[in-house]
Amino acid sequence: MKETVNEFWLKISSNRFYKRLLKEPFTYVTGAVLLAVFATAHLAVFSKGWGVTSAFADWGAWLYRLAGGNVDQWAYFSSEKAQKTLSSGFLNDGGSIRNLGIILGALAATLFASEFKLKKIKSKKQVVAAVLGGLLMGYGARLANGCNIGALFTAIASLSLSGWIFGLFLLVGAFIGSKLLAKFFM
Amino acid sequence: MAEFTLDCMGEACPVPLMRTEKKMTELNVGDVLVVAIDHSCAMKNVPEWARKQGHNVEIEEVDDGEWEVVIEKVK
Repeated sequence: MKETVNEFWLKISSNRFYKRLLKEPFTYVTGAVLLAVFATAHLAVFSKGWGVTSAFADWGAWLYRLAGGNVDQWAYFSSEKAQKTLSSGFLNDGGSIRNLGIILGALAATLFASEFKLKKIKSKKQVVAAVLGGLLMGYGARLANGCNIGALFTAIASLSLSGWIFGLFLLVGAFIGSKLLAKFFM
Repeated sequence: MAEFTLDCMGEACPVPLMRTEKKMTELNVGDVLVVAIDHSCAMKNVPEWARKQGHNVEIEEVDDGEWEVVIEKVK
């Protein structure tokens, strides 16, 4: 019985459709075409461009509330719309569900490819860099009113000049970041 | 014909690629470098870079989410 099961999985893992669709990474062109199709569909269905990080700010507000805090007086959440999103909760917020979908989808993809692995933390330096990097990215995304999806990808696709300006400074940041990376991690 | 190893387990892009580039300069022609990685995007960009440099490259999947990129320096 065990051998037939093994044989079954071996057969699947050598199947060319499995390899092309689930195992091997898509080419850049395939990825670009899929992104274009889904971004257009997103705009058509929700009448709103695709974004990621503004929902994370709401997640932060909800967590802060769970810990007993209150964001009602914060300028960032002062608009009626922001208050409505916060009061109707996680399950009624499309952006939050979409982000959850990205995380679960990524998990499913790595499981389908049989590449799931819990990675060990190599050094304290790595932890510090990850925490600092995460905070900087989150803070920067709020200041810039979007991340590389909302403020770059969606903005450029919507023919907005702001996307190109964001892209220019993204390159400046990446340049400085790569210098820091070489300094601290090489 | 020496063989070198580079442990990049637990390291995210672009660190494995940067370390591989640096390590390859220390190798002589004919030497082999085995880079151990567990970050799937490094499994794409490390071989891509090495092939562009003209080296011989082989990728081995050693376990779920773990690869060894074997690079033979040819010039």
